Amino acid sequence: MDPETLQRFSSGDEAAIKTVYDTYSGPVYAASLRILRDPSWAADATQQTFLKAWRAASSYDPQRPLGPWIFSIARRTAIDIYRKESRRIQSDQIDLAEPGPSLEVIWEVFEVRAAVEQLADDEREVIRMSHFDGLTHSEIAHRLDIPLGTVKSRTHRAHQKLLALLDHTRDP
Amino acid sequence: MNKSENTPEKAGEFEVSRIERVLDDETTWATPPPHVAEDLLAAIRSERERASAKHPIWLRRFWPRVSVALAAAAIIALVAGILLSSQGVTDRVPLAGTELEPGASGTAAFTATGSGWAIRLDLTDLPAAESGYYYEGWVWNDEGEGVSIGTFHLRGGSDPVQLWAGVDVDAYPWIWITLQEEGAGPAASDQIVMLGLREP
Repeated sequence: MDPETLQRFSSGDEAAIKTVYDTYSGPVYAASLRILRDPSWAADATQQTFLKAWRAASSYDPQRPLGPWIFSIARRTAIDIYRKESRRIQSDQIDLAEPGPSLEVIWEVFEVRAAVEQLADDEREVIRMSHFDGLTHSEIAHRLDIPLGTVKSRTHRAHQKLLALLDHTRDP
Repeated sequence: MNKSENTPEKAGEFEVSRIERVLDDETTWATPPPHVAEDLLAAIRSERERASAKHPIWLRRFWPRVSVALAAAAIIALVAGILLSSQGVTDRVPLAGTELEPGASGTAAFTATGSGWAIRLDLTDLPAAESGYYYEGWVWNDEGEGVSIGTFHLRGGSDPVQLWAGVDVDAYPWIWITLQEEGAGPAASDQIVMLGLREP
């Protein structure tokens, strides 16, 4: 995200909020869904996350990366919703102490999804078809009506981009 | 799945498999319903309109000036701190008026008690809230989450205001005073009239 957008976001500019939403709503929703396992709760968490971000935008330092700041709001919002909804349904089966997977797992989901969003459309498409739809390269080639070699090279290129985009998350 | 065909260079195998585990989870690909964006923008516009209905200037536009006000308030607090040092107060935070109330100043004295944090506000030149409005104190963290610490109106004078926080105030370093409209709901308005930062 360009520095000008970040600066405008920190001043609460609505167009910048929309840009931030378009960039991070996927990662926020995916991470929220991973925590909450309920699409409507995750949708609620996503809306609340960006509303809180807008309210607190003046405290965001545009010199720092926006992703971790958004993520911290999203995670806490999702946990708050989990606890509130758990109390509401009064289930003895739910552990109120710490919902869902670990912080590291949720962070990985957020980061990977954010990286996928940065791929070119055709690269994201083959990655999605491979992982989400579970198709082979041959099946992808058939479905997209493109040569098998193109699918292989496109997939390889997408993986290399993901590796580069996620290099900072690698364990030292 | 097509892991055998997708295998990249050996050096990146571990990282690819780590990423692939995440990519294989369907939640990674989930997309929020379209109404979320629409509801978000509607909520933002609603809050903004409510804020501008009474005060045309929005907090975020005057944030740089607030930082100047905070610096000025720190000097006031230094003097106040000397005066109050014999009263056993745990911690004092200078409060500065924002552009909505530029003449207001004061301190918030934080005292740990067995039931929570007692927070005493000594305020100067903050006018009484008009009928239909009230002031609300908040402690706020850097992640955009606030907790109300009580309400007041000052219509009977500017005696010290006693508020309470049931949360760990170390995790909520900001203190805000907002002007709230009765019936507008429990959320903090954008009409922040005073604020301060509690340094660790």
